[in-house]
Amino acid sequence: MAQNEMLAMILAGGRGSRLKDLTNKVAKPAVYYGGKYRIIDFPLSNCANSGIDTVGVLTQYESVLLNSYVANDGRWGLDSRDSGVYVLTPREKADEGLDVYRGTADAISQNIDFIDNYNPEYILVLSGDHIYKMNYAKMLAYHKEMGADATIAVRPVPMKEASRFGIMNTDGKGRIVEFEEKPKKPKSNLASMGIYIFSWKLMRKMLVEDMNNPNSDHDFGKDIIPRMLSEKRNLFAYEFKGYWKDVGTIDSLWEANMDLLDPKNELNLNDSSWLIYTEDVSILPQYIGKEAKIKRAYITQGVRVEGSVTNSVLFTGAVVGKGAKVVDSVLMPGAVVEEGATVTRALVAENVRIGKKVKIGSRNSEEIELVAKSVKGGTK
Amino acid sequence: MAGYKAFGIVSSADNSIHVEGLHDYRPIGAFSFIGRFRVIDFPISNMSNSGMDRIQVYVRSRPRSIAEHIGSGRHYNINSKRGKIQLLFSEDTNVNSIYNNDICAYSQNLDIIERMHQDYVIIAPSYMVYKQDFSELLKSHISSGADVTLLYHKVDNAKEYFQNCKIVNINRQKGISSLEKNLGTAKERNIFMDTYCMSKDTFVSLVKAAKELSSIYTLADIVNLKCKDLDIRGYQHRGYFASLLSLSDYYKASLELLDYSVASDLFRPEWPIYTRTTDSCPTQYFETAKVSNSFISNGCLIEGTIENSVVGRGVTIKKGAVIKNSIILAHVTIEEGVYIENTIVDKWARIIHVKDIRGTEDHPQYIKRRDTL
Repeated sequence: MAQNEMLAMILAGGRGSRLKDLTNKVAKPAVYYGGKYRIIDFPLSNCANSGIDTVGVLTQYESVLLNSYVANDGRWGLDSRDSGVYVLTPREKADEGLDVYRGTADAISQNIDFIDNYNPEYILVLSGDHIYKMNYAKMLAYHKEMGADATIAVRPVPMKEASRFGIMNTDGKGRIVEFEEKPKKPKSNLASMGIYIFSWKLMRKMLVEDMNNPNSDHDFGKDIIPRMLSEKRNLFAYEFKGYWKDVGTIDSLWEANMDLLDPKNELNLNDSSWLIYTEDVSILPQYIGKEAKIKRAYITQGVRVEGSVTNSVLFTGAVVGKGAKVVDSVLMPGAVVEEGATVTRALVAENVRIGKKVKIGSRNSEEIELVAKSVKGGTK
Repeated sequence: MAGYKAFGIVSSADNSIHVEGLHDYRPIGAFSFIGRFRVIDFPISNMSNSGMDRIQVYVRSRPRSIAEHIGSGRHYNINSKRGKIQLLFSEDTNVNSIYNNDICAYSQNLDIIERMHQDYVIIAPSYMVYKQDFSELLKSHISSGADVTLLYHKVDNAKEYFQNCKIVNINRQKGISSLEKNLGTAKERNIFMDTYCMSKDTFVSLVKAAKELSSIYTLADIVNLKCKDLDIRGYQHRGYFASLLSLSDYYKASLELLDYSVASDLFRPEWPIYTRTTDSCPTQYFETAKVSNSFISNGCLIEGTIENSVVGRGVTIKKGAVIKNSIILAHVTIEEGVYIENTIVDKWARIIHVKDIRGTEDHPQYIKRRDTL
């Protein structure tokens, strides 16, 4: 790919409030996933692996941690000359004062000056909170081949669930003829993944107009895409096959972690041709103790298991003490399950300690229990 | 911090040393250690954590793996503007030549050494594993007024282990009276950790003196000779210490760390051991996995049984395979039903057809790199 032919802009401002205490202090893209990753590692690694050099990350909600995390662009190999990851938070401008990002489109509009620096042909707009592996270079090739003004990545969802998504109706040749947000009677099962490629010249013009439109919500889904359709622009759907997950709730975050335990899991993080990069840690490899019992588990470096672990995902530095049992659970970085404690169908947040002999969760619980605060153990 | 006062030299093993098998493919510094590390990570991390940011790494042979691993040095927390890790070679000498020793490498690079701004040098080997704050060593060296300070470790198993190491003999005034080879004649010995602290000027004059006396003298030889004329003292190291100058020492040192209290003493949060990341994903344990008392690196797929072993990155252990008291290096595949005990399996090897491989505790079996059995 030619230098900065396509610039990527990652929307990472959302809180993800249904993730409850996990997003009290960090935005959703910074939430941990898969033993050693944060969710935003996925779009960033995809960008790096797709040959995109410059990535803007648009942050807003609780952005301190996320800003410093993504600014370390060497982690994803995005630190060569003419390449980088740039944190773009709302800023005060000379003639307009300080504005928050009013919507997904507005976040891009407010950074037109940044994009202009690179004078790209195309821009790729992504969500920072989805888990998937995708080659955006292939999507760009499709965009060019179709002579599109906009290409939207879609994936087939079960028809009966289609009314929960933004659905793209196409003409059979991939051209989008209609977009329906959460339709009651869906006509197609192609759900938008919130991944867009726009030809920048046209999009720049549309964004400038949209900024000044008092009736707009400044949102790609609500405003920009419908307007493009009404103007009879060339919009194409790019069908993506493979693992994709938007982890909006504690249950779905837990489930996405459990997906990794499937020997045939589609995400396959072990593929050396498409690595997901993340923060590096100086820590021992995982230590599995003398009395440990491990079955169906996904475990990363720095973990220490002395007890039993079944059907669970253990993140960096998590500890399972002697006689402790961890079943169907996720232990986030630094979580400690002390001796004799039992954790079942739970998600234990970062650095939380489950005290000796404490019992958390149950096998038949309806929902996954989020443990966000340490629990003191019994004195017995 | 030592960084303002001392630069570091990471030295290579003497050309008389050959560790069976492993050494055919890489220098000892590039040997894998407890899965995700390489031996050279330890001396470089010690220097980096002691605040030293000018480090020279001397490579005697097969530089590829070391060069690749060290890269810009950024992962060792060395600031790329103010600090520097240099890889240096003895350029015009045959690898196996008796002339190709440390003094030869230092004298060929003497101009670079003399140009260093620091007044002191700390020399540490790339073939030993230990944790040491070099600023403490330097402080003691300066306050004692000694010409040279040597780091040593007191052991009680010098008969069976610490093969190819040197020992220091200490006189009543705590001065070093001589250095000699460990011949395994006594249990209790002060093993020389091949680690030196001295002023840059002393170092340069020792290199020159060695060269003048004999073309094949090593730094240890000249220091031994100078014991009478110079004030040479010992500084005792405490904590985990391993020398990797033979296959059985490498094997023993690796398995010793399976005692978690020993390992966690070597790996303190305030004294991180840095290494180069390979971005491998976590390890997956399947239904039939049985693992105990082992260090497992990331990126493995485990269906079999592992006991008292160290497993490197990206290893596949199939159903029914049993690994006991062994060291499995990165990217090895062990097929179904294979039994392996007291064995070191080198990188990328595949054990498929041979179902039973055993060494002994004293003489571990070695399986070659990229070999198919």
